Amino acid sequence: MGVTKEQVESSLTSNLKPLHLEVTDISGGCGASFSVEIVSEQFEGKRLLERHRLVNAALQEEMKQIHALSIKIAMTPEQWKQQQESAETKSEA
Amino acid sequence: MASLPSTTFTPATFSSAKSPSLAPRTVASLAANKFSAYPSPSSLSPRALTVVGNPVPGLRSRTSGTFRCFASVLTPQLKSTLDTVVNSHKVVLFMKGTKDFPQCGFSNTVVQILRSFNVPFETIDILENELLRQGLKEYSSWPTFPQLYIEGEFFGGCDITVEAYKSGELQELLEKAMCT
Repeated sequence: MGVTKEQVESSLTSNLKPLHLEVTDISGGCGASFSVEIVSEQFEGKRLLERHRLVNAALQEEMKQIHALSIKIAMTPEQWKQQQESAETKSEA
Repeated sequence: MASLPSTTFTPATFSSAKSPSLAPRTVASLAANKFSAYPSPSSLSPRALTVVGNPVPGLRSRTSGTFRCFASVLTPQLKSTLDTVVNSHKVVLFMKGTKDFPQCGFSNTVVQILRSFNVPFETIDILENELLRQGLKEYSSWPTFPQLYIEGEFFGGCDITVEAYKSGELQELLEKAMCT
């Protein structure tokens, strides 16, 4: 049995209270590979490594079955806002 | 380039695992392969194993839980060995496959990044030794490979390395490491 996108989302939500969360199953169905975008206040003042550690820790149970977790974005709300603003000006298609 | 410490690995180093299925198969050969400056296995004695005393910075915050469902494989001996290995070179990459034949896209990405900086780096193939692979997950508190160590300190996996490459942080860190 694999891990579902919903399980990953619920663990991350309860542990990190994200402002933005996007979990994508990139395993092609077997539930062993996910990519994550997450924005949380808990990342404030932390280096990227520490942010990734928080995500890994939140998914400790799920990681037993996940082979690849790609953390695409781990930003603070402030950083996220800046990125959204710069992205908006670029892509309106 | 830092010279190799006078530390050697012995088969006994990895032999304290509880699980008999995790045979201490290749540590001596692994060490012999990867660190050709080490003495051949025949010259090793148990007393030859010395330990680098300073703990790896950043490991203190490690949680006691493990990422895998079986009991901890990170014995004190294995930890000492890993302390030595990560400090044996400025840049050490634990990866799937070898520098020349990476067995995984993420590992390959990190190899290519390191190559682009033209810095010397040592790679260790974790597919050759299951005990090493499981032990490292606990040692680094990191569930996946590749794992990059710079100056004895865990730097990150593939995503972090790519980010730091793009931001210039990695270059800065490597330049600093090469100067010391």
